[in-house]
Amino acid sequence: MAMASDPFGFAPAIAVFPLVAFVITLLFGRHLPKKGALPGIIATGGSLVVSLVMAAAVAGGGEHHAQLYEWTAGAAASETGAETVAFTFGILIDPLSALMLVIVSLVALLVHVFSLGYMNAEGETGLPRYYAELGLFTFSMLAFVFADNLLMAFMFFELVGLCSYLLIGFWFRTESAPSAAKKAFLVTRFGDYFFLIGVVAIAATFGTVGFAGEGSFVTAAETAIEDGATLFGFDAQTWVTITGLLVLGGVLGKSAQFPFHTWLPDAMEGPTTVSALIHAATMVAAGVYLVARMFGYYALSPTALAIIAFVGGFTALFAATMAVVKDDVKQVLAYSTISQYGYMMLGLGVGGYVAGVFHLMNHAFFKALLFLGAGAVIILMHHEQDMWEMGGLKDKAPVVYYTFLAGALALAGIVPFSGFWSKDEVLFDALAVGLSEPVILAAYAMGLVAVFFTGFYTFRMVFLTFHGEPRSDTAEDPHPVGWAVKVPLLALGTLAAVAGLVNMAPIAKLAGVDITFLEFWLDGEYGYVEGLTYHHYHETVAEMAFEESYIGSETTTMLLSAGLSLGLALAGAVTAHTLYNVPDPDRHTTKLGGAYGVLKRNYYQDEYQVWLAEGLTLPLARAADRFDQTVIDGVVNGTSTISLFGSDWVKRIQTGIVTNYAALLVGGFIALLLVFGYLGGWFA
Amino acid sequence: MAVVDLPQWLALAPALLLAATALVLFAFDSINPHTTNRTLFAGTTVVGALASLAVAVWYAAAGVGATGIENYGVIDIMGGQFVVDQLALFFMIVVAVVTALVAVASHDYLRDHAYQAEYYSLLALAATGMSMMAVSNSLVTVFIALELTSLPSYALVAILKDNRGSVEAGLKYFLIGALSSAIFVYGVSLVYGATGSLQLEAIAANLDAAGEMGGLLGLGILMLIGGIAFKTASVPFHFWAPEAYEGAPAPISAFLSSASKAAGFVLAFRVFTTAFPLEATTAVIGVDWTWAFVILAIVTMTLGNFAAATQENVKRMLAYSSIGHAGYVLIGLAALSTPSGDLVMGAAMIHLLVYGFMNTGAFLFVGLAEYWGVGRTFEDYNGLATQAPVACAAMAVFMFSLAGIPPFGGFGSKYLLFSHTIEAAAENTALLAAAAALVINSTLSLYYYSRLVKALWIEEPLRERDALATPTGLYAAIIAAAVVTAVILAAFGPIADVATEAAAAVVG
Repeated sequence: MAMASDPFGFAPAIAVFPLVAFVITLLFGRHLPKKGALPGIIATGGSLVVSLVMAAAVAGGGEHHAQLYEWTAGAAASETGAETVAFTFGILIDPLSALMLVIVSLVALLVHVFSLGYMNAEGETGLPRYYAELGLFTFSMLAFVFADNLLMAFMFFELVGLCSYLLIGFWFRTESAPSAAKKAFLVTRFGDYFFLIGVVAIAATFGTVGFAGEGSFVTAAETAIEDGATLFGFDAQTWVTITGLLVLGGVLGKSAQFPFHTWLPDAMEGPTTVSALIHAATMVAAGVYLVARMFGYYALSPTALAIIAFVGGFTALFAATMAVVKDDVKQVLAYSTISQYGYMMLGLGVGGYVAGVFHLMNHAFFKALLFLGAGAVIILMHHEQDMWEMGGLKDKAPVVYYTFLAGALALAGIVPFSGFWSKDEVLFDALAVGLSEPVILAAYAMGLVAVFFTGFYTFRMVFLTFHGEPRSDTAEDPHPVGWAVKVPLLALGTLAAVAGLVNMAPIAKLAGVDITFLEFWLDGEYGYVEGLTYHHYHETVAEMAFEESYIGSETTTMLLSAGLSLGLALAGAVTAHTLYNVPDPDRHTTKLGGAYGVLKRNYYQDEYQVWLAEGLTLPLARAADRFDQTVIDGVVNGTSTISLFGSDWVKRIQTGIVTNYAALLVGGFIALLLVFGYLGGWFA
Repeated sequence: MAVVDLPQWLALAPALLLAATALVLFAFDSINPHTTNRTLFAGTTVVGALASLAVAVWYAAAGVGATGIENYGVIDIMGGQFVVDQLALFFMIVVAVVTALVAVASHDYLRDHAYQAEYYSLLALAATGMSMMAVSNSLVTVFIALELTSLPSYALVAILKDNRGSVEAGLKYFLIGALSSAIFVYGVSLVYGATGSLQLEAIAANLDAAGEMGGLLGLGILMLIGGIAFKTASVPFHFWAPEAYEGAPAPISAFLSSASKAAGFVLAFRVFTTAFPLEATTAVIGVDWTWAFVILAIVTMTLGNFAAATQENVKRMLAYSSIGHAGYVLIGLAALSTPSGDLVMGAAMIHLLVYGFMNTGAFLFVGLAEYWGVGRTFEDYNGLATQAPVACAAMAVFMFSLAGIPPFGGFGSKYLLFSHTIEAAAENTALLAAAAALVINSTLSLYYYSRLVKALWIEEPLRERDALATPTGLYAAIIAAAVVTAVILAAFGPIADVATEAAAAVVG
């Protein structure tokens, strides 16, 4: 740790670079070449380099935990007896955050580069604003990732939310973009409300909001549970569950999990590059990353874990079914994002910390790829997004096609593309726990069924977009794309294809070789922070929550699970192939019957949420307003009327005639005398 | 320090200095009866008041009245006829401060006045009386001090001889005052008749002797309350106040409503805590006298504020607001039946101190307006801020402080009063009503105070006005009062300690 030149000293620079780019672009973007893209590219490139240095340092056995700034500290007795509480900014670089920093800065860099082709080349206006917001977005997310405590995480979590609001509403002159931005902001804010309460509750309970070390709330919670403490009238574990679920509110909002997922499809109103960033590395990833970051805390509560797992499994299936009937290429991807984050939640919820993080990483690559690919398609199609207007783009734009295909294979989970390995591991972990926990088994079943749908909608999208005959004039003669589009696609395409190789658990088991590198990475084989390792989490989960069981042996179960999911994915892909990989595909909507309408309307989720707002909240608000207007205001106005009337009356006592005064004075005195004389019995 | 070497009677120095000031002014007037050298007179009065203030502060700092080895303890003079303790010094300070402010302001206000020397010497004499009220410890000295305050006050109210309002107000004040004095002195005689004593400690010691004459003693006590209520302008002895304040020269209104009221209260605090200890008195007269103050407090603050709400005349509004504030302070006496009575009384004392600045300042602003000749009603004040922003800012400070809005002194004292009253209400639920009345009336008061601020700052003037002068003395007094009102909250901790300690010492 104590190296001569500690590379960790540069850690703050990771976030500072994009912040500087933000300031520069905001102030001088108008006058810069490329309207401010260059500072952003340089800054995110710098962040990537420093992040890689951090990762290398962690690989070399290092870790970093330092306080940067103290907001305030003071004596405040907490429920567990800690006497002081301090609110600080600090940096925590451990395997998890180092990995995430690399992912975020890499995706941000590629998005910046891609934007040259997507925004600059297309002659968009307001580019300095775009790049400035992109810089701020990257800064917020990076600072969120290396936050060493919950309060700092919350602050940057909010900043991330603000930036996505700004970017989703980038085309603020249209009607739909501002509305989508507002929706994203409000829905996530609803979740964050609970998050904030959770932060306060944790601070009040444990007197600390730190993630790592002896003074972390995770350790404090562990101690409290071991001591059998009673916190705020609850059993310690129950209280951990309650606070954990409060924080989870923010996670569900940000990661677009049911029932807070409705904002995400609308968020497609933002530029496609922004969608790529939001879905792959920043906004939506923030939620799941937070669960991974404080996984030790959730590991203490089987209830919270089960809820995470179940919500995850349910969302995975739920969103996947909706993706099946979407016509807009970005909509399909949006629902696939919701679904994939469901898998991550499922993985984390069953204690599969490595699986969850693994899928988070792979998804970052292939979803960024798919969105950028979709962006490329949109350029090709002159900003047409309806897949039924496309077709046959395969031969016109081979680079886009093959990279997109790599992403699609990864998303569908076809071996050996990255998504297969991580999704399989998630499902295997879920199955292992599910065999003894019915709730988890249900979550697993939903996740498994969703694999079929994933394969189906993914390839439906691929076939409709790239295969068959062109179905419109623009598809006949697409707009060419430049290097700024191709380079990021190629980079991500490669990653989507090979990233899964870092943790080939089934191969490792079968061949008996140690090639599960990601697991080693997260398990403290290299640098690590005490208490934040997979090992530790695994033990906690085993002790507090779930035990694992297998069908036959562990290897059989693993093969069974892998075979099942791969088979289903292929089945889905083949179905799509039969239905849509024809020169002139049909919509096949009638085959779904009544289900089509339900799916097309997204299970009426928007409708019921709108109903909640208009049918329930609004009348309630109206009633409250009426109460306020009539009763409260009435009382207030009545009071003032009475007061003023009384005032007039009182004024009249003062007649100006001194004999009246004398009479009143004596009269008042005598009244007082009578009362007291009576009470004191003076007249007896 | 050297206090210990001084003769005991010098403990009265703050009052004696004011008396000496009055005599010096008489001497000036005797030597040259026709001089109108107002700078000389006002200067002399200010010097005398400041000297009195300095000595009082010095005594307080040196530890006169405070217990403990290093301090001097309570000083009894003339066999307990006078007593100098922390309570006395606290109120001597209030009186001296207000006197100084009023004297400074009067310099400009009385610029064309014929009776300069008389005015200032009467002012100094009245101040002497108030200062003596703080130290009086026997019903005889109390009455003499009371009259020493009252008689010059009548003359001062009526000093604008050519002004009908002033003369009429003086006469009304005198008549009501005479009636009240009669009631008071009759009360003194009844108390003497029942207990055979006039010295306050002796009365307390002889309460048992009243025996069969409990009713007589009770009547006497009620009459004393009447006399005090006159001095503090509490209902139903308040009738003089709106008239007198309105008719009197504005500095005198300030003087009467701040210093005179404070002096009345120190009298009440001393007489009722020393001479009529609650339990012993209740045993004799059969009823708890704090109830009288509970009733008076609620009625006084309600009537004062309600009457103030729709006044059109600014000075009259301030007069009623002054009655309302007397009601707030009366809670200090009403809460004496509870264990935290000393805290409430301390808070009431602080309120009087803060009130000494904010209310004096407010009346002096009215004085300034009269000096300008802009008129008397709210409407006449419209838009003054554009012409005199500094004075109007000071007035806004006074108004918000009187209403009890942070960060001004009035907020601090009202808050202390309220919170301690709530605390005391745990023992005596009637105080809950008093606390509620305090809040409700403060809310109502915000209405008419902010109305004035609105007139000054937001409304457009009704008609064109000539440029307004900036009389140095008036401005200096107003700004000094405003600054103290604004910053006193910062020093609230120590002041609260002093006041609470002083209150605890007499409550015992």
